[in-house]
Amino acid sequence: MQIERIHFWGIHAVTLFYVLAAISVAVFAVGLYIRLSVWLAASERQKLGLSVKGVGNLCKDGLLGSKIFKGDFFAGLMHFLIMWGFIGLFIGTVLSTIHHYLIRFLTGNTYLIFSFCLEVSGFMLIAGLLLAFIRRYIARVARLDNRAQDLWMLVIIAVSALTGFLVEGTRLAVQMPEWESFSFGGVLFSALVSSEEQAEALYPYIWWFHALLSLALIAYFPFSKLFHSMAAPVNMYLGPQSVRFASSSDGSEDKESEGPKFTFTDMIDFSACTRCGRCNEVCPSTSAKEPFSPREFLAQANEYTRFTYNPLSKVKWLRERLFRQVSQAPKISPEQIWFCTTCRACLEVCPVYIGAFDPIRRVRNVEIENGDGVSPLLTKSLETLYKFDNPWEPSKKKRAEWSKGLTVPDLTAGAKADLCYFVDCTTSIDTRTQNLARAFVKIMTHAGISFGTLGQKETCCGDIARRVGEEGLFEEQAEKTTSLFEKYGIADVVTSSPHCYNVVKNEYPPREAMKAAEEEGPFRIRHYTQLLEELIDKGAVKPVNLVNIKVTFHDPCYLGRYNNIYEAPRKVIRSIPGVSMVEMAHWGPDSLCCGGGGGRMWQELEGEQKLSEVRIREAANTGADAVVTSCPYCLIMLEDAVKTAELKRSLKVMDLNELVAKSLGLGDEEET
Amino acid sequence: MNIVVCVKNVPFTQDADLALDSSKQNIRKDNLVYVINEWDNYAVEEAIRIKEQSGGTVTAVTLGKEEDEEVLRRSLAMGADKAVRIDPGDLQLDAFVTAAILAAAVKSLPHDLVLTGAQSDDLNHGIVGALLAERLGITHVAVVNGLKLEDGKVQITIELEGGQEEVSQVTLPALLAIQTGINEPRYVSIMGIRKAAKKELNVIQADALGLSAADLQPSLVVEEMYLPPETAGAEILQGDAASLAGRIVSIVREKGSLK
Repeated sequence: MQIERIHFWGIHAVTLFYVLAAISVAVFAVGLYIRLSVWLAASERQKLGLSVKGVGNLCKDGLLGSKIFKGDFFAGLMHFLIMWGFIGLFIGTVLSTIHHYLIRFLTGNTYLIFSFCLEVSGFMLIAGLLLAFIRRYIARVARLDNRAQDLWMLVIIAVSALTGFLVEGTRLAVQMPEWESFSFGGVLFSALVSSEEQAEALYPYIWWFHALLSLALIAYFPFSKLFHSMAAPVNMYLGPQSVRFASSSDGSEDKESEGPKFTFTDMIDFSACTRCGRCNEVCPSTSAKEPFSPREFLAQANEYTRFTYNPLSKVKWLRERLFRQVSQAPKISPEQIWFCTTCRACLEVCPVYIGAFDPIRRVRNVEIENGDGVSPLLTKSLETLYKFDNPWEPSKKKRAEWSKGLTVPDLTAGAKADLCYFVDCTTSIDTRTQNLARAFVKIMTHAGISFGTLGQKETCCGDIARRVGEEGLFEEQAEKTTSLFEKYGIADVVTSSPHCYNVVKNEYPPREAMKAAEEEGPFRIRHYTQLLEELIDKGAVKPVNLVNIKVTFHDPCYLGRYNNIYEAPRKVIRSIPGVSMVEMAHWGPDSLCCGGGGGRMWQELEGEQKLSEVRIREAANTGADAVVTSCPYCLIMLEDAVKTAELKRSLKVMDLNELVAKSLGLGDEEET
Repeated sequence: MNIVVCVKNVPFTQDADLALDSSKQNIRKDNLVYVINEWDNYAVEEAIRIKEQSGGTVTAVTLGKEEDEEVLRRSLAMGADKAVRIDPGDLQLDAFVTAAILAAAVKSLPHDLVLTGAQSDDLNHGIVGALLAERLGITHVAVVNGLKLEDGKVQITIELEGGQEEVSQVTLPALLAIQTGINEPRYVSIMGIRKAAKKELNVIQADALGLSAADLQPSLVVEEMYLPPETAGAEILQGDAASLAGRIVSIVREKGSLK
């Protein structure tokens, strides 16, 4: 007897099997076609090219699943076993098909290794499924919501795998060739059958059961949550990118499409989500029991896009039979979207690079264009921004008032300087944050830096407009700001707000002119933490005065997660003599949002807890004397929270500049 | 239902440093930011809500120069269907002349309902609505803060003193001067305003409306404007709470407010 795989042993109705297999593959193809059509219905496509980084991501986070292991080893193990079990069995099936129909190569030792690998894959799959079952239904991992599909997908795959072994086992019970030990799984299962006669009688039934179940699984695959195994790799390959700048005058204006303008990556995001719930765990809004959850939002968006862009719904006959009435069409409920602080924490933990905040911006855009779902405070703030170039005060005059008593050259009034300090609206106007600007100016003056500001002519960078989905206003502000930079030949900018820094650096439309004038060199914008770090490194600023204080640092989202600046502010803090530093429970990439981002500063949304109070309590728990931050929004939110949480006596809220200025002996700037 | 809504572009004066121009008959407006008159914003929103509910057209009308078209674009972006700007040319405008010109223009438009703001933020006379209704010969209701359409009639709510509300019914056609707070005006996006550029906006000249010289003669002439003279500064009390309280009581008694 030759050592090789035996196909269709004792099965007679082989033709029937081929017909069923063809149907199964056809249904699979239709499902895949629907999914791809939904992806391609995106208002903006991604350029697909060869990306080394993409392949790297695919290996690290896809094949190895390193982000699944992170923070939850058993989740990682479970996924690793199931995924590699599946991949092993899939490759096995492909090789076996090639062997059967094309080239006979799975013979002798090759076959034995092949057989052994398949046995291992089968066991890995079953072990993974068992682990998944334990996690969901016995250990009851809190972040998993167990829906019906989760249970029966597990059962179907498990039964399919077990019957696979059983088919093999029954056959081995009759044949039992001498190379049996390479099919150790089958041998194990063959023990279940008592006699050869029984095995021969049972075999066709088990074979057909296994075959039908497997074919059903293939057919259902693209419609089920298993589709993530095709969507997630694409998402990883493309990387966690958001479309930089969606110009609103690209012709889509005339289309008058009512729905959100989701991009290609948004669409893939929706179909790659498996509801693992990690986003919910880290979402500051969900944690504070506000009526928002990134997972639910993504699920709604998935339902909505799969319904709206389903190519079958365009066929009237199918639409009337297969689809729900339009009145029952899935919707993305608009109330939830304003709660997202766009803090990016969901993207940080998502194993497959999904972030809820970008698609949320596109749903916000629909609400903004409709106009009637926008809260009165936000309406007022955006109107003020449009007319007066800042979201705070209906006046352009107050912009430079913070600098009273300080020498600050005005670059728009003829002053020349190397560096432009772009103060930003909030820092300029809010009475608490004005102190940040004053301290920073004193430090720069002390370090002998040639700097100036744009005085009253300074614009709003448009970040708020961008976050709340007011794309038209954002474009307008971006245009105004870049024109201003150009007009005064500004090539080097430092800003107080991580929000301005991020939007100018990463989201402004690419413009030739932003390269600045030839002699000025390429345009660059930095956050003040980067400048402080540089000044301290160079020795231009030497904090000398002892500041005996224990501090903790609150990472602003737009500095940390958005721009990967975690070390600079900490380095500055460590350079100050006498200061000791402790970290909060959430810090660095795991930092918790203060609740002021994403346009929430200009809305009155409330949940059970205030986001800023959750954060300030965490800061207080470190036992620090002060919480230091480096963002005007965070400063306002935390300063407010320290009062409402009645921690004012034990905890101080400081801006990094105030701490540095104190150590330099530059006036009493830590006053609130 | 054909609705005409009158709107006005006004300077935003809250927080602005007002100065007089050289004629001393007006304030300097060149450095002021212009916005839609607050009351008119509510009127436009109300008109659009009626249209959305029971169909019809909304026409926004303004009496102003070319730069005031911004207020019409905004109204179109909110949902108005058409807009008309009446150019006043060199005419001197007061509430009477304004009403006469508006009346001549509105007469040529189909109107079951005319909405205006209860007053304008710049001149605050609050009479254009009444004058306009009189000239159009239709029912007029001032300071409306609630409105419900019921087969050809409108149920009106007006706030009286002491939180009392008066509900009445008027037949159409009618002019309603809208009070702020009647609704929550929607947000008007920049894209919306840009797109509204495609909607119909007609310009007519005020002097081509066939009005008589008497109609165009202002009844109110500003002779002089001046800033209120500075008076002596306020007295700032200092001391602890007990002595402050005593001092306040004695001042109030001194001024005769406390017997």
